Amino acid sequence: MNRALRSPRLLGVLLFLMMGIVKLPLENHLSHSLRDQKLIPNPPALSLRDSLGQMGFAATLGGLRSLVASITYLQAYVAFERVEWGKVDSLMTLTTLLQPLEPSYWDEASWHMAYNAASNYLNDEKIRAALRQKLFRDHVQRGINILNEGLKFLPNHPRLLIKLGDIYNTESPARRSPDGRKAAEYYLAAHANGAQGFYERIAAYELAKFEDRPSQQQAYDILKRYYDQDTFNPTMRRLLPELEEKLQIPAIQRIDPQRPFSQPGRRTLRR
Amino acid sequence: MSTATSASAPHRNFSPARIWALATSTVTQLLRMKILVFLAVFSLIVVATGFAFPTMSPEQQLKLLKDVSLGALQLFSIVIAIAATALLLPRDLEDRTLYTILSKPVPRYEYLIGKLLGVILLLAGGLLVMDIIFSGVVWLKQNLIISSQIAALRAEQNDTPENIAAITAITSQYGLSWSLHAGVFSIFLKSAVIAALSLLISCFASSTLFTIVVSLGFTIAGHGQQLMRDWFLSSLSGFWEKSISLVLTLICPDLGLFDLVEAAIRGDIIPLNVLANVTGIALLYIIGYTAVAHLFFVDKEL
Repeated sequence: MNRALRSPRLLGVLLFLMMGIVKLPLENHLSHSLRDQKLIPNPPALSLRDSLGQMGFAATLGGLRSLVASITYLQAYVAFERVEWGKVDSLMTLTTLLQPLEPSYWDEASWHMAYNAASNYLNDEKIRAALRQKLFRDHVQRGINILNEGLKFLPNHPRLLIKLGDIYNTESPARRSPDGRKAAEYYLAAHANGAQGFYERIAAYELAKFEDRPSQQQAYDILKRYYDQDTFNPTMRRLLPELEEKLQIPAIQRIDPQRPFSQPGRRTLRR
Repeated sequence: MSTATSASAPHRNFSPARIWALATSTVTQLLRMKILVFLAVFSLIVVATGFAFPTMSPEQQLKLLKDVSLGALQLFSIVIAIAATALLLPRDLEDRTLYTILSKPVPRYEYLIGKLLGVILLLAGGLLVMDIIFSGVVWLKQNLIISSQIAALRAEQNDTPENIAAITAITSQYGLSWSLHAGVFSIFLKSAVIAALSLLISCFASSTLFTIVVSLGFTIAGHGQQLMRDWFLSSLSGFWEKSISLVLTLICPDLGLFDLVEAAIRGDIIPLNVLANVTGIALLYIIGYTAVAHLFFVDKEL
């Protein structure tokens, strides 16, 4: 008995189990810390197993979740080329489920629905006109919902806020779902969370269209700040005097109408 | 003179020089087994992915390149870690090299440490070369994309400094960054842990195939360890779920801790203290598994 207890193999088994007991709280603490810092993902939901199949699910478990997401993304791209919108939606949903912390997937999923699918349905003459309008609105709303879902995982992410602003932007060439106030709200939120200055200026252009004084004052304050910082462009040259007039700014505080432009660009950066 | 000096030198129970000699000979042994053919395959995959899918958005092209390359790198490093380690002891037994080494005053733990260090050196060297190739292709692709985007802005007369800065920032975030090297380092740590585990299994295994299959099983279970730990710690799970997940949680390493690759691909910053913590837990596994391996190996009849 004593000899058996002194066996190195038995000691090995005991050390192995002891190691398991010691490492358990360490692993648990470290994995929660890494998850909180969004450096490692949460374990995949079991519901994904049916959608991905056994191999795909095993691969996501095996640290290849990013690669599996790329594969489902490519499948969605093929479905997009084949104009299969239902398939695009389900595959992009799968992709975002696999990598909810990747903003480009939320962006692209909403873009497919709110722009590509919506416009495609709107221009599809095989569908009755009333239904086309409904499908258009439904898909624009689906795009908005996707971005709002993404914001739950990436709160205040500027990219997702910009895309929401774009969908609501009345200046959008495809005229999504015009709501300038909401567009301005999202662009301002995006700028407050790190987006480039031109999104704040687009928000001001939207606010300048409203007739109420607070909106005009907010638009004026933003544009005047850029003017004072020597970031001056043709749109501001047109809007600032209009706002000065509406807000009855004293003549001495008004801008110089002859001031040369400092920025050659006229349009804002898109996708 | 030197012979006389070395003859008079007392024998040490632990000699880093002996371990280093064993490690370097293991690297040579593995290189002769043409294990680095993987490198050529990896390079082909990276270069092919780097210039595929030109119709996708620039950031998705870069993301796909990184996903595929780091996925291939991870697979290769795991396969090398398991296969190379599983082959070591049987090959030494077959060649009778093991008897030659152990007939000298070389303790068995030095032999094990030397062999493991050899595999780890091979993994580190291979991953370093693959990282250099991969970084070069990402850098090239990133610059090509930025140049083409600036050219497109210029054609539209939209090449304002603000727009150029925005496009460069977006593309660079998905391009080459220090985080990518941190991601490769986390892959190295994971494969080193798997190598130590395979060495432990090979110390009591009856065949190479057994070592490979069991190591692979532990690797897969280790990746699902967080899921099992959640079941074990969840009050909702039943007796059998709790028992099975407890056993697997105790015996498997949590390999999901080394999955920093996703954050690296997103371009997120991986803090140094995180890398230090992950390195610490990898060392705990490697030292623990090597100690257990020694306890099995010291009693093994050769």
